[in-house]
Amino acid sequence: MNGISILKARVRAGFAVFAGCLLALLSGCAPLGQLVPQTWELRSHWPQGVPQTVELTQVPFFPQDEFQCGPAALATVLAHTGVPITPEPLVSQVWLPSRQGSLQVEMLATPRRYNRISYVLAPSYADMLREVAAGNPVLVLQDIGAVLTQWHYAVINGFDYSSGTVFLRSGTQARQEMPFTAFERTWIKSRYWAMVTMPPDKIPATAAEDAWMTAVLAMARTGDGASITTAYETALRRWPDNLQAAIGLANEHHSRGSLITAAAILRRALLARPKSVVLINNLAQTLSDQGRHGEALTLLGQADTNSPFGEEVRSTRELIEQRIEQQRSALR
Amino acid sequence: MMMKKLVGRGLIVSMLALSIQTAGAGMIGADKAAAQADRSMVVSVLTRAETASQLQAQGVDTRAALERVAAMNDQEVSQLAADMKSAPAGADGGTILAVVVIAAAVWYFAFRK
Repeated sequence: MNGISILKARVRAGFAVFAGCLLALLSGCAPLGQLVPQTWELRSHWPQGVPQTVELTQVPFFPQDEFQCGPAALATVLAHTGVPITPEPLVSQVWLPSRQGSLQVEMLATPRRYNRISYVLAPSYADMLREVAAGNPVLVLQDIGAVLTQWHYAVINGFDYSSGTVFLRSGTQARQEMPFTAFERTWIKSRYWAMVTMPPDKIPATAAEDAWMTAVLAMARTGDGASITTAYETALRRWPDNLQAAIGLANEHHSRGSLITAAAILRRALLARPKSVVLINNLAQTLSDQGRHGEALTLLGQADTNSPFGEEVRSTRELIEQRIEQQRSALR
Repeated sequence: MMMKKLVGRGLIVSMLALSIQTAGAGMIGADKAAAQADRSMVVSVLTRAETASQLQAQGVDTRAALERVAAMNDQEVSQLAADMKSAPAGADGGTILAVVVIAAAVWYFAFRK
């Protein structure tokens, strides 16, 4: 045999081995229900109230540059909520040069700089569909590698149950169609990681109270006053007994000098939680700031002295007593 | 060089300290009243500065690093420090890598003696 035919034989053998391995890897030798458990579940339990076809055609599209699906995906969801943004400025905010990509925790943090609240969904296909149906495009982390792991961010903006397809804005494709099953295969690797970004006056369809408040508080680190106030207001309207929303909203008003409003919010919250030391402290402070020192001290007396906020309560008491003393000396 | 590094660090710490938001005088912040608030787990300004420095070491501009850390809550800052080198970093939409791998494998099988 001459060299050429040996070469050909080897190439053929190589392909065969390689193709065989690939096939084995991809098929996994497991039943469909195990490979794509959540798609399987959807067949018998389609989420209630979610239409079978949704396409958010208004979701903008920003084709990505090499390695920069993070900025492109973020720009997509941010622009959808009204932020005038493109991928370029996001590169220095979310792209990590040494990794040539974007970390999930940074994808979450960046929207806050634009007064948007980012929220990680439960690892649930049904929840993701519900959000899209509610008008919220969902940013997902996929492993799109055929053999090696290849992490990639894309945005889901629609689905069609009858054809079993999800629609994505992904990479350089404005409208990528993926079967439900294939999509789950890419998504399962990131443990079904998905996030939405919301303007301050909206709450995700699947938001859980405590998790949402954590997200709001995170946004409050860098958001502007008006956005933070709106976020707390919206949360309080949705969950009228939420302690953090009441405290946060009252604080926002207090810091702008709207003491009457702040006091009203705190008083209302105290009705449901008369023992809350934070509410007592903050209302007492507000009353004193209004000149109602006697009332403030009386209220403060109700605070449990063993509370972890004992220090703050003591400071507030001292301040009020000082003010009373100053008043007295002024009157002499 | 050492001096430059120390001064740089000092600058980062003071800039971070300035950027921390506090509730109005005498008011306890909503974050302190968190349902699962663990007051012993507060991430210090110094830890934030360290994480910002780590970002810098990974190629991020100084100012940008500070701003990126500032947008994260304490738990996220801790997570970032751990994630930087190994957590998933979403990057590419192409199949270029897979093609390269397949081509290399074919080459190897074909030309191995």
